[in-house]
Amino acid sequence: MLSPVLMASGLCVERSGRLAVDDVSFALEAESDTALVGPNGAGKSTLVAALLGLLPRKSGNVEILGHCLTADGRLPRSIRAQIAYVPQSLALQGLFPISVKEFVGFGFDPPGPRFPWKGHRKRQQSVEQALQRTDCVDLRSQLLSELSGGQLKRVMLSFCVVRPRKLLVLDEAQAGLDFPSNERFQQLLLDLRRQEGWTVLHVSHDLDMVRRSSDQVLGLNRRLCCSGCPDHTLTPERLQELYGPNMVPYRHHCSG
Amino acid sequence: MDEINTLMLILAEPFMQRALVGGLLTGTLGGLLGSIAVLRQLSFFSDALGHSALLGITLGILIGVNPMLVLIPFAIVFALLINQLVERSSLPTDALLNIVYSSSLAAAILALSRIETYRGGIRQLLFGDILGISQLDLIIVTILLITATIYLVMSLRAQVLLTLNADLAGAVGVNIKIHRLAFIVLLAVVVAVSIKAVGVLLISAFVVIPACAGRLLCRRFPIYILSSAILGGSCALLGLLASGLTNLPSGPSVVMVQFMGFITALVLSSNRFKRKEDASQELSQTPDVNLNDP
Repeated sequence: MLSPVLMASGLCVERSGRLAVDDVSFALEAESDTALVGPNGAGKSTLVAALLGLLPRKSGNVEILGHCLTADGRLPRSIRAQIAYVPQSLALQGLFPISVKEFVGFGFDPPGPRFPWKGHRKRQQSVEQALQRTDCVDLRSQLLSELSGGQLKRVMLSFCVVRPRKLLVLDEAQAGLDFPSNERFQQLLLDLRRQEGWTVLHVSHDLDMVRRSSDQVLGLNRRLCCSGCPDHTLTPERLQELYGPNMVPYRHHCSG
Repeated sequence: MDEINTLMLILAEPFMQRALVGGLLTGTLGGLLGSIAVLRQLSFFSDALGHSALLGITLGILIGVNPMLVLIPFAIVFALLINQLVERSSLPTDALLNIVYSSSLAAAILALSRIETYRGGIRQLLFGDILGISQLDLIIVTILLITATIYLVMSLRAQVLLTLNADLAGAVGVNIKIHRLAFIVLLAVVVAVSIKAVGVLLISAFVVIPACAGRLLCRRFPIYILSSAILGGSCALLGLLASGLTNLPSGPSVVMVQFMGFITALVLSSNRFKRKEDASQELSQTPDVNLNDP
């Protein structure tokens, strides 16, 4: 059995003076897909930020690929290089002068200061391959700010796949996507996860999609209310416990 | 012909040569840092720093130390304090910056008006005196330009990702805190050093206008940074030559040339946009060709 890619134990995180995440423990098995679900304000994004070392922890430990995340959120560069993150949005006000090709190229470079022309040829080759694998070749010369929501999300996946990685974290990556774009994005993510052997942790509100694609569900409402495989976690009783008594679960007939 | 002779006479003067080199370096530096500052929405921050710098100069005069020596540490401390204030306060950033810079500017002008020897110097501080640039100033600006160039080139990935999404940058190993502080400190030092040449009131134009013109014209990030720097330097040079020829104040002359450069960029970019729209319209009006037709 493969050792967990990420382990959190007794994690507590404060935000704006209140405990946003309280005593959360879980593990992400290698090459698994885990969905983090819960109502708005449940602390999902706060938990993700703390796991990535972007927010300080009040207590608890986080271990990624066998290395402990320090109190100030540091990890060895070799470990950081194996983590990818897809945020909800990018600050692309006006004509942000960066092309798709340039942006994906920044995903190839390892952490730390370096001259941008170092390893240029290898970077170009990797960028071309990443764009092909995510069906973004036609977008290579476009500005990021000119892309549609669905195209931007596919480019974000190019950014992740441009170098080998082990852990992919997505914070509501499907937010704002219409149904076809969402389906296309999910299929691409599934294919890449299988090909690359990624371990995926994603924040989601799409319970139907979670039921279809995830191996494990973490139900968070400040505390971890439930966890396990989707069939056992996304039951009406558990969902009402997580979201409150007004939650009426609806399931598509076609989703099985 | 007379104008050319006048220009040649002026160019032969060492103070004018220093002014031209100083203007070129300061303009390039402003454009270089401005390219990142504009994207990171720090234009107003540089404006506030510039206005508040007058307080630093006043402090120098009051304690009897060369104001320019006080200005750099003052600008760094002031920038870090503003940064802390903005991060911790729930008030909107632009409102906070307005409060800080207008109060420090008012305090500085009140204090300066009480100092007999500096009454006449206020105008120079407000609008700059590029002709007063010394050899030492040139050395400082050159060192600063080299430092800023190396820092921005080496941290290009960090700067871009930090501007696009700080969490994305942090997740892939960019030290968010260090790079934010480093850029703010660099911007503060550049503003402090350029005050002598450009003046308190016009310093933000050196940071903002060339970068905005570059942003309108460029679609690739390194080219955008490079063109902002080149536009900054060349506009400063042209503005100083125009100032020498017409005997108008140097700082405002440079800013007017920068403004003309911006208008040119605006026209060029809207023409390009129009051509692109026309091309896509033509494409959509072309009837479908059936390849099976004889």
